[in-house]
Amino acid sequence: MPNTVYTLITGASEGLGKALAFECASRKMNLILVSLPDSSLFELADFIRWNFKVSVFAFEKDLSHSCGCYDLFHEIEKQKLQINILINNAGMGGTVLFDEGNPAFYEKQIGLNVLATTIITHLFIKNLQNKPPAYILNVGSMASFFCLPKKQVYGGTKSYIYYFSKSLKRELKNKGVSVSVLCPGGINTNLSVTLLNKSVPWASKMSIMNPEDVAPIAIDGLLRKKEVIIPGRWNKLFLVLYKILPASAKKLMTNYTMKKINHPQWYAHYLLMPVSQANPAA
Amino acid sequence: MKILVTGSSGYIGNLLAHKLADAGHCVHALIRNRKMASSLNHDNIRIFFGDINNRDEVKDAIKGCKQVFHVAGQVKPWIKDPSIMYRVNVEGTSNVLEEALNAGVDKLVFTSTCGVIGPSLNEPMSEKHPRIIGYTLDYELSKKMAEDIVEQYIARGMNIVIVSPSKVYGPGSISHSLTYNAIISRFLRTGIALILYPGHYQGCFGYLDDVVNGHILAMEKGIPGEKYILGGVNISYYNFFQQIKEIYGKGKIIQVPKFIIRGWAYWQWLLNKLFDKEPLFTPAAINHFYRNYIFSSEKAISDLGYQITPFDEAINKTIQFLKPSDHA
Repeated sequence: MPNTVYTLITGASEGLGKALAFECASRKMNLILVSLPDSSLFELADFIRWNFKVSVFAFEKDLSHSCGCYDLFHEIEKQKLQINILINNAGMGGTVLFDEGNPAFYEKQIGLNVLATTIITHLFIKNLQNKPPAYILNVGSMASFFCLPKKQVYGGTKSYIYYFSKSLKRELKNKGVSVSVLCPGGINTNLSVTLLNKSVPWASKMSIMNPEDVAPIAIDGLLRKKEVIIPGRWNKLFLVLYKILPASAKKLMTNYTMKKINHPQWYAHYLLMPVSQANPAA
Repeated sequence: MKILVTGSSGYIGNLLAHKLADAGHCVHALIRNRKMASSLNHDNIRIFFGDINNRDEVKDAIKGCKQVFHVAGQVKPWIKDPSIMYRVNVEGTSNVLEEALNAGVDKLVFTSTCGVIGPSLNEPMSEKHPRIIGYTLDYELSKKMAEDIVEQYIARGMNIVIVSPSKVYGPGSISHSLTYNAIISRFLRTGIALILYPGHYQGCFGYLDDVVNGHILAMEKGIPGEKYILGGVNISYYNFFQQIKEIYGKGKIIQVPKFIIRGWAYWQWLLNKLFDKEPLFTPAAINHFYRNYIFSSEKAISDLGYQITPFDEAINKTIQFLKPSDHA
């Protein structure tokens, strides 16, 4: 099938990656899905094939180590798959005071958010150039713009993604590859994040979107070759405010979003419930 | 055998309690609302007034029971204080499970919902399929959290079967304002059904009698730790009302465009903010209307012997049950 082209999505098993996979499949794009081992990726691939009748390949790789990225590249080369869209979605979030965080976690976070995006883009750039017009979508964050406390490393990695994408777009301008960066606010990516997002302050809550609402905006923006894609009216508004407000107001804004989070009682209960709870009868 | 049914005053719980009582079991019916006691008039039904959020009251009701159907749940499209929904559906479930464990119950059937599996794409969803969207509705999220708690108790060795009913309609002693009965009833009364445009979105409609039988089958034959969808017919909303119209002989189906639905939702939101009026649906819930919610009951059919009453027959019985009486 020499004419078959694929959309490669990393971090496809959950959250935004999964929503992007559904969105692309619904537009009849063939998929190459990548996620961590044991993330039910093969079931997801079957499910998408069955619902949308598109071709789907699935690879379970840990991209936080560069060898995972190279493995992925070699396997796709071996199968002679032609890619026309690359979506660097895999990433790790996290909200933690810097000195309380674990350096091993930071290493993994930087490895996945920064290194994997860089290496994968480099490895696949030739493949993409074979089939113009080709597209790259990197997933940044609103944290690329706002300097939020407790998001030092995360925000740093996303600022890298922002700069990397915009710079690369200029380089590849006349080579048939468009580069876009998606900068969403909070996304209800999985159950625990959804729960956490229920208890954040008002302004942060306004910025939060569901993956299935972000995905179509992201793919539309990508195909229209938009440089920066900001999903959601509130996020657009916050960004405009942030650009025009004086520094003192910005400080207030970002501090407000990080206000101490009070979990509702039912939520705390859910977190504390697990099996380890002593059974009075046992 | 003594069997506890929580939520016996509800739509599913009530018919379940009666069927079990008719079969000769001694049913412990746990209900909160004293006014609902009359719906449980049966020699084999013993009523326990209590709340699943009160462990002592659950403990009293469960005493001596070998089996438990945990049907009770807070089902509402909108709730002023969402924490109530979590308290009932999540904490209430953990209370019932903990007391069932303490009481040494043999087997428990937990009533969840297809809403946890969530909307479908082009093909019907089964128990194992991945969820395609996030959890936006408090009801779905709270039932998902309850299922997670159930999984923890299964891991502790309890015999628990999860059943997931779809939308439910059909004759029942309780006419709940949220079931499709209310919507069918309004159609029969007013002659007008407002459905979304386009009306091709499909839902899964389970017949109450089938769903209740499915509960009993799950207790008899369900494999602990497994989940069974108790659904019915997958049909578009347009065809659903078209069938009713054909059988009943009259009625008009009006398809409403999305911007009106959206405006209506914001209108309700405004009324809610100003006058505390309970909305039928919220702006956030609208996107859920524009999705298919179709499910496959194959697993329950093959493993439990679950039966789906043919749609014609089921809807006919429902119409006979709901149609406005001539002298009214």
